[in-house]
Amino acid sequence: MSGEKNTNTAPVRDLTVKQGFNLGKFLVSWEMVLVYILILINVVLMVSRPNLYFAGGTIQSIIQSGMDVCPLVLGMILILMLGDIDVSVAANMIFASMATGLCCQAGVPVILSVLIGILAGAICGAFNGFCVAYIGMPAVIVTIATSMLFRGIVKIVLDVNVLKVFPSFYTSVAWLNIAGIPLALILFLIMGAIFIFILQKSKFGRELYIIGNNATCAEYSGIDVKKTKLTVFIIMGAMCGVASIFFVGRMGGSVSSTMGTGYEMTAIAICVLGGVSTNGGKGKVYGPIIATLIMAFLTYTLGLLGVDANTRKIVTGFILIIAVLIPNVNKQLLDSLKLKFVYKGNKNVEALNVKTAKEVKALKETIAETRKDGSLSESDKNAKIKKCEDKIASLQRECKKQTEVWLSEQRDDQKKAKERFAAK
Amino acid sequence: MGANKNKSMISRITESRNFGLILGLIVLLIIAAIITPSMYSVNSIINMLQNNAVYGLLAIGEMMVILTGGIDISIGATLSLSGVVCCRLMAENPDVPSIVWILLALVIGIICGAFNGLIVGYFKMVPMIATLGTMYAFRGFSFLFSGGEWWFPHQFTEGYQAFATKKIIGLPSILWILILVFILAIIFLGYTRRGRRIYAIGTNKESSQVAGIKEARVTFLAMTICGMMAGLAGMLYTANYATCSYSIGDSYEMTAIAICILGGVSITGGKGKVDGVIIGFLMMAVITYFISLLPGLSVWSDAIQGAIIIAAVALNIFTERSAAKRALKERSALI
Repeated sequence: MSGEKNTNTAPVRDLTVKQGFNLGKFLVSWEMVLVYILILINVVLMVSRPNLYFAGGTIQSIIQSGMDVCPLVLGMILILMLGDIDVSVAANMIFASMATGLCCQAGVPVILSVLIGILAGAICGAFNGFCVAYIGMPAVIVTIATSMLFRGIVKIVLDVNVLKVFPSFYTSVAWLNIAGIPLALILFLIMGAIFIFILQKSKFGRELYIIGNNATCAEYSGIDVKKTKLTVFIIMGAMCGVASIFFVGRMGGSVSSTMGTGYEMTAIAICVLGGVSTNGGKGKVYGPIIATLIMAFLTYTLGLLGVDANTRKIVTGFILIIAVLIPNVNKQLLDSLKLKFVYKGNKNVEALNVKTAKEVKALKETIAETRKDGSLSESDKNAKIKKCEDKIASLQRECKKQTEVWLSEQRDDQKKAKERFAAK
Repeated sequence: MGANKNKSMISRITESRNFGLILGLIVLLIIAAIITPSMYSVNSIINMLQNNAVYGLLAIGEMMVILTGGIDISIGATLSLSGVVCCRLMAENPDVPSIVWILLALVIGIICGAFNGLIVGYFKMVPMIATLGTMYAFRGFSFLFSGGEWWFPHQFTEGYQAFATKKIIGLPSILWILILVFILAIIFLGYTRRGRRIYAIGTNKESSQVAGIKEARVTFLAMTICGMMAGLAGMLYTANYATCSYSIGDSYEMTAIAICILGGVSITGGKGKVDGVIIGFLMMAVITYFISLLPGLSVWSDAIQGAIIIAAVALNIFTERSAAKRALKERSALI
């Protein structure tokens, strides 16, 4: 009904990828929403505790407090990208720290013992990956079992002892600032950049997206799904080894078998908050990086506001649920809710209203165009605008009338049906 | 079905999944008999079952959820919440009849389970992530309600403890409750319409939806039952040990899942029977008890449990694969 734009030729499908920068879309993307949340938390902290916020070292210590899970988060992005999950990461991390600690105790050179720790993590990851990819066991079950197994091994080896000999640079990784910027944050951003490159630019990363979206499809397009899965689990294991550096440093250079419980859940929660879909094949690295900072600031802010540790757990839980629920609130859901409540489930009414709304919009656009048009004289313009406005009014009147007729018919039908059933 | 009838009795027995489980159980019992003969007295066996009964309750609830193809890792937290609420109110009002507390525990469990069911069934959240979130939340509520306190035996009323420890015909009442739950679960899953729907959803979501089964409703029901079992288990746990704090039930969900998997419940849903879970429960009870009896082995329990789960799942997958291969062979032989 917009008239002028109708052409009879079928539109040619444009197959070129449109990657124009859209500011409106960028501002409401999930990553930007996370940035807003981060700013909001900062503002709340700034307003409620101004003395503390502007004092030197506060922000650094807040950031440092959240950095001990960061390697786990980065590794977990890849795992979730496959549609799998790994809940053994905390146990794996402790296992790797134990390996390093034992080597240091035995007097092995520092570099070698750190490498042995990372290697131990990678071996654990390889075991997970072998079970998941080659035997075909579900990732949840395997990693639940291996988290018991790894932590069990640590318990057997260490019993109740605490390992205290670690390389001295461990603590500086967690606590040192370089020119006012925490060293941990710098390392995190470097690792994040590497992961962005792996996931967004390399062939391996793009294969992960395909496998996450449709593993069968990936298999048929010539991707070795099993090998890729194994590789991802090995990377996750190595990242657990790296995480052990941050973790042991954070704990002041000691490790025992009961430390670090619940880190796997924090890592998964951060990834989900960062917009990585647990069904696989969706998400970017930027989101989880920002979400890691959000989690650090949130925990610290709630702590400062006098909220105790367990209430913070409740808040974390609900944030997790809400973060997953928000992407579900899309246009489809809103439309179905509108159909149910505004149009009383009558699809004819819905179709009529949608159609009328479209036509009214087109007419309004015509009015706006006419107003700007310089070639027409003033009286012509007014006449054309008047005509369009009349048309809009009549369209709306008709739509209202028809809607009422249909709804009353529906009500009558329902009444009749009720009477019929009541008579029986 | 026709092919099944032609087979001999022995091959039918050896091919059933429970056969392997029972064989494993027998081997385990024989090893236990050689190493720790003190295990074989009626008292110690009853004691062993009594202390593990909570896991049985949780496993039955977890089984319902796994059968629909989901998973619930918040049951440990639900157990803690219901235990803490019941204990605190019981300690403050010792005169109230004890039946109130068991009903309260059921109600708390149903509320927790229904919340899980709501977000998983109707809002279509991934079960693992949804219950991960509620696990945090329930555990936090449990701490808030307990205020970090502990409850000790002298604060427990006799009527409250009787629900777990009172002996009826030689067995403590917690075991009678467990047996009752097992029987109800067999009837529910095997012979009622709603129970069969749980299997249908787990086997094939699309086709069961086409057949007119509402997926959201079935998932909601399964998760509510699971929560109810966890609530009941929480009350019985505190009654059994006569101590309570907010930290009870930590990582019990893992043991419950392990029992289900040992009992042959397929983690992808739709497969598994209550009798298998009962055998899995007995096996887990024997293993934990056996380990606790061996001197110096108590630190091994986590590692052994983890290894057993991995072995059981791997075995499960291999038997399923070989069964599928055999079925294919039989079909091709018919042609």
